[in-house]
Amino acid sequence: MVSGETPTRAAYYRVMAGALPPETLVVTALGNASYLWAAIRDRAENFYVEDAMGLALPLALGLAVARPDRRVVAVEGDGGLLMHMGGLVTVGAASPPNLTVLLIQNGVHAASGGQALTNAGLDFAALAAAAGLAGARNVAGADDFAAALGEALAAPGPSFLALATAPDLEVVVPPAGFDPVVTRRRFQDAIDAPRYLPTLFGGGRLVER
Amino acid sequence: MSAVHRPSEILETLERVGMSAAVAVPDGWLGEFLVRIERAPWISLIRATHEEEALAIACGARLGGARTALIIQNVGLLTMGAGMVCLAQRYRFPLLILASYRGTPADPVFYHVPKGRVTEPVLRGFGLGYAVADGARPIGAQVEQAATYAEEASSPFVLLLGQEDVQW
Repeated sequence: MVSGETPTRAAYYRVMAGALPPETLVVTALGNASYLWAAIRDRAENFYVEDAMGLALPLALGLAVARPDRRVVAVEGDGGLLMHMGGLVTVGAASPPNLTVLLIQNGVHAASGGQALTNAGLDFAALAAAAGLAGARNVAGADDFAAALGEALAAPGPSFLALATAPDLEVVVPPAGFDPVVTRRRFQDAIDAPRYLPTLFGGGRLVER
Repeated sequence: MSAVHRPSEILETLERVGMSAAVAVPDGWLGEFLVRIERAPWISLIRATHEEEALAIACGARLGGARTALIIQNVGLLTMGAGMVCLAQRYRFPLLILASYRGTPADPVFYHVPKGRVTEPVLRGFGLGYAVADGARPIGAQVEQAATYAEEASSPFVLLLGQEDVQW
């Protein structure tokens, strides 16, 4: 739930920046979810999902399944999750132990100017628990978040924390413009993802770097 | 009727080209095909709730380095439009999309026909590469070509499949 004492997204992100090990792969949703994270901790291991509302979580699920050796953190918004609620069910079914979902619950569509959500009062942690994410919980403060995030990262997942957050409607300017293909290639280079060797060079298959 | 079991040929091809992840949404033709994939030790299957969600999962798996196939009915090509344009095409994810082609003259089911009629115009509207599987040619080679095209073009590529291709 969002109240007058509700922490900002920046407060949560500062906790994340201090707590996440450098090898953590972070997938952030559209708008300030990506722009602010890039401003605070731009790294090659970040994958910024611009636009494509509601698809950060399912993308993070696919990444977590493909890279079971790395912790994957997905930062999704409540509006995005409402748009693709089924993704939560699929996360519960696939149950990747290396996935942590952080839900920015600010009660509005912040990226589109603060328009009202269809239902801002949902208990997302209860929904996540019903979808099979045992231990899903609501978080209402930065101190509480620091402890909850530490527990989530230490235990097998998937884990889910719904973060009560004050809306931030002013667009944060990221440190650099996002080029989607550069974002993807930078990320894949950073995680040593196999690359495709073209048929012209005798390949036609993925090869290890 | 071909002497070769075409769904088995597709599975053998997926294994041979190194597909290690598949994401699927069911269709009547795909039921047993997906069960066979689910049982195969060389590939991980994720069953999604919606085709646009499935597309994003596939993008994530490919981002992580897994060669990935998306297996759906052609209606999913209609429902995944935003994700196709804003995610898969914008970030240039190479994905093989195997879609059962329902509602064609070979599958004149009244509720599939509207989907069959618009599938190829929609794909052309997306600017998406695609091919319709040729029932007279071995299906394995066509799947391999589609998978290769996706990688070489760094883009999704759709292979539209008939009933004999995928129904076990």
